[in-house]
Amino acid sequence: MVRTHRPDSLKEALSIRGMEKVTVLAGGTDLMVRNRSWSGTLPIFERDVLFIGHLEELKKIREEGEFIILGASCTLAQIMRDGRVPEYVKLPLVQMASPAIRNVATIGGNICNASPAGDTLPMLYALNASLQLNSGKGSRTVNIQDFITGPGGTGLQDDEILTEIYIPTACFSHQYYKKAGLRKANAISKVSFYAVASSSHNCIDEVRIALGAVAPTPVRSLEGEALLAGLEIEALPERFHDVKSCYEQLLNPIDDVRSTKKYRHKAALLILEDFLLKGLRSHA
Amino acid sequence: MKGLSEPIKRYDFDEKVEGRARYCADVYLEGMLYARTLRSDRPRAKILGITVPPLPEGYFIIDKDDIPGKNSVPIVYDDEPLLAREVVNYVGEPILLVVGPDKQTILNILAAVKVDYEEMDPILTIEDALNCRENFIFQDRPHFVEYQYTKGDISGAIARASCCVEDSFQTGYQEHVALETQSVLAFFEEGRITVSGSMQCPYYLKDALVQALNWSEDRVRVVQLPTGGGFGSKEDYPSIVGVHAALAAVKSGRPVQLVLERGEDIRCTTKRHPSQVHIKSYLDHENQIIARDVEVLIDAGAYAGLSSVVLQRLIFSVCGVYRVENLRVHGRAMATNNVVCGAFRGFGGPQAFFAIEMHMENIAQKIGVDSLELKKDYFLRRGDTSSTGGLFQFEIVLPQIIEQIEEISGYSQKRKEFSGGLGWRGIGCSVFFHGCGFTGKGEKDILKTRVRLVKRSASEIEIRVANTEIGQGAATTLRKIVARALEIPVEHVAYIYPDTDVCPDSGPTIASRTIMIIGKLLYDCALEMKEKWREESLEVARGYTYPDNLSWDNARFIGNAYAEYSWGANVVEVEVDPLTLEINVLGVWAVYDIGTPIDERIVKGQIDGGLVQGLGYAGMELLQARQGRLQQENLANYIIPTFLDFPPIVSRLVENPYENGPFGARGLGEITLVGAAPALALAVQNAVGKPIIQLPVSPEYLMELMCDE
Amino acid sequence: MNRVQFVLNGSEVNLQVHPLKRLIDVLRDDLHITGAKEGCGEGECGACAVLVDGRLVNACLVPVGSICGHNVVTIEGFRQSSRFAILKDSFEQAGSVQCGFCTPAMILAAEALLSHNSHPSEEQIRQAMAGNLCRCTGYTMIVEAVQLASRKGEGLW
Repeated sequence: MVRTHRPDSLKEALSIRGMEKVTVLAGGTDLMVRNRSWSGTLPIFERDVLFIGHLEELKKIREEGEFIILGASCTLAQIMRDGRVPEYVKLPLVQMASPAIRNVATIGGNICNASPAGDTLPMLYALNASLQLNSGKGSRTVNIQDFITGPGGTGLQDDEILTEIYIPTACFSHQYYKKAGLRKANAISKVSFYAVASSSHNCIDEVRIALGAVAPTPVRSLEGEALLAGLEIEALPERFHDVKSCYEQLLNPIDDVRSTKKYRHKAALLILEDFLLKGLRSHA
Repeated sequence: MKGLSEPIKRYDFDEKVEGRARYCADVYLEGMLYARTLRSDRPRAKILGITVPPLPEGYFIIDKDDIPGKNSVPIVYDDEPLLAREVVNYVGEPILLVVGPDKQTILNILAAVKVDYEEMDPILTIEDALNCRENFIFQDRPHFVEYQYTKGDISGAIARASCCVEDSFQTGYQEHVALETQSVLAFFEEGRITVSGSMQCPYYLKDALVQALNWSEDRVRVVQLPTGGGFGSKEDYPSIVGVHAALAAVKSGRPVQLVLERGEDIRCTTKRHPSQVHIKSYLDHENQIIARDVEVLIDAGAYAGLSSVVLQRLIFSVCGVYRVENLRVHGRAMATNNVVCGAFRGFGGPQAFFAIEMHMENIAQKIGVDSLELKKDYFLRRGDTSSTGGLFQFEIVLPQIIEQIEEISGYSQKRKEFSGGLGWRGIGCSVFFHGCGFTGKGEKDILKTRVRLVKRSASEIEIRVANTEIGQGAATTLRKIVARALEIPVEHVAYIYPDTDVCPDSGPTIASRTIMIIGKLLYDCALEMKEKWREESLEVARGYTYPDNLSWDNARFIGNAYAEYSWGANVVEVEVDPLTLEINVLGVWAVYDIGTPIDERIVKGQIDGGLVQGLGYAGMELLQARQGRLQQENLANYIIPTFLDFPPIVSRLVENPYENGPFGARGLGEITLVGAAPALALAVQNAVGKPIIQLPVSPEYLMELMCDE
Repeated sequence: MNRVQFVLNGSEVNLQVHPLKRLIDVLRDDLHITGAKEGCGEGECGACAVLVDGRLVNACLVPVGSICGHNVVTIEGFRQSSRFAILKDSFEQAGSVQCGFCTPAMILAAEALLSHNSHPSEEQIRQAMAGNLCRCTGYTMIVEAVQLASRKGEGLW
């Protein structure tokens, strides 16, 4: 039977993490489903479990310079309630899971699960979020894109804990989020699309787009974004074809029990088109 | 009816809202053991052998050899084993159970049980079954049943037709998702077995226990507990789990609890039948529909179960609410190595009305008329005969229903607005009926319905029926009927959760029969009791008698397929997201003739709930079998409607009392579901301008339609 | 096995239990508090929802070790309150109960909403309760009950 650790501090948590291979459990809303057994019996964990959801040090939200910094054990509901967190960060959160799950599920958990359908990920990709990873030996910072390696795969080392998420803040003229889920609430994404942009004088300064559930990891095309930067809004339609093909190359969706490859592919491109040709034009 | 229809507080309300109601899994008995089922993971295989590990003290295996009586579920064809014999025929078929005090130990034992299979070629689709020439699942044929009926002169009519409109439709599985999974509790005491739990039909389970144990009836008792939803899922399946728990209780001498987990419940219990309906309507040179030829196929799964009766209702309903004089309808329930299909609210009706309503729309488009106007021209009226030639003896109020639904929904006006260009908005209207009670003479020939009303004192009247309160309000509505008939306060009438030791067999709680059939028998009892009211205590009993004004030939399917019908129309308005092709339902309107409502609030609850379940079926609830395995086997992937998926429903009743129903009531529970899918699909067809030929109307399906230019 | 301590319906609970045991199992199996129902075991149906520090949580997803020191309220505790009395009355008037399996958690979901937003709009009610499945009512009669409670319980929330 596995053991559990409930450390009193991050320092203690890191020291446990340094000594043995443990499963880190913050909210547990994913792990408890994945490892569930018959009701009335213990969930099946292969390794000892380290609880970190209660650590106050990991539950703080703070502003620092150009960053909003979210503790990894912040729940989705806590982030949604916090007045300091910009609306464009909250955009995907309000459509995630259900209220009871958002009260428990953490942002760090959503990142470390690295599900292709993880709904915070496209937002974090587009916002150039970076992650603070701590271990007993020190800490390092890594970009979200470099951290997520594939379905369920991350660069988290066995002695590390994701402690904070750094999100650079900016003044965007456009924020756009579209999720095709299985239904209107409490639904896993079949396709999700997140974009922010800034424009001035009918000219696009910057666009950042990330798509979820259309490839093993979220998709962002720097090439496509470069084609859009500096472009007159009026010139979007003629540039659209080139931009679209940048994204088309990156889409690699699958057929599964929730949707089809074809649906994901087509819907992703239709949403891209809507954002570029309609979304960017409005209230610019 | 003034007074009667006014809502009263439900009798099951307090215990449910306070969390005091004891559902099966809430009951803990001293020394109770738990059971878990080992199930086939093959769609079709011979069992060559089973290796069981040495069992610790106090643990038991229950398998086919523990069944002293007949190893089959007593329903229609008795072909489904309670525990697998030599062959398994679907993924999820029960093989054995492990029983004991500690759940983790049970899991460990199960993990160590090895079943040695020899794979057989499975029949995985309706097409596979149609092509099957040997190695049949059922007897010597690829189907469980094949039916045909005709009306008028079909070949003569076809010969004089000038055109034919032809359509094919498909529907998928639907899972009930009663919030409480299949749950039973058995205990064995002083030579008697008692099984209590979540169920719709206590006497079905009792019959199964008597047959499997080969015990006399007086040694078997079944008691219903508060039941967390049925919808058909707890019609015949409790017979399987109930016998399993009973066998375990007998063998161990201890109480045994058997509660299915959600995934197991989805994988293994019965579903709504997938269907294929091929309809041809023949029109003469004046565009009059003169004949209709329908071919129906359903995937019944691995055992016959209730499929024959579901197919009957489907084929008797598939011509819709329309008068067409020349008909031929042919249907088959195909045997496949898929999960067994069975009863589900509507019982063949939803598949039938989806097909006929879409088809009528397509005929209207083809001949360039408004579809509702076309439908009105063919509405059945009193004096007409049904598809099977049964005389409609009572007023049919379809015109009033349509008038009401137009008034509340603005259907025709909106329809004109939406029908031009691809505005992504659409509206659809379905019109439908539901035959109340058992098909044909089933109430008389299959059931031995008996109800009892007992007077203990002037203020203590007890209803004794086997009809269950499963959320639909029977505990309240049956009391209201009796109290009203006796003209006494409703508090003086008692109803208990059925217990076969004290309640007579009044038949199953299915087929929209509880109010119309059982309520009427209780009403008759009450009138008799009222005449003898001076007697201090008395008991009145009634059985069902087949009305003189009906007739039914069950060999040729001629006559009154149902004693009486409920009628309705639904309108659904949608917008379709042009990017994701998600359907956003903007409005739902419904009008029904269910005769007299016994309790308006309970009726509204049935309407809202049935419609939302039907809308889920229409647009959301995708459940696919691949290689005999259901793909969406949890509630994250098999999705049912939430608070956010559909808007509030506006509904009305057209009161058209039925003279043989209690205070004029007709059936209610099922008709609320059957019209939803065609109304939604018609609205989507109107919105996207492409024919919708399958359910559910998923965004993926729409993407296929819209992108295949 | 560890000692796990939390407050349940106002009383301290101190149990020798594995911290990974699900809260729902601790409630139902160890404490025989059965108002929280298991409908799916995966956080999808909400029938097991309870309040932890006043917020709605699915007891099937919570290892009991992660709620040490917290305040848990189930229907058994909540039904003593005057807020419950209002909700009960409203559920009755609106006809919000059919099979009843989802009902205790629905009541707690309504409480979680009203305690943070005493006058929610219809949309806010639907959003707040979207994780609680009901297969019987089609939901609108539950929405109406919460609206009714919000009006009748003026000042209570």
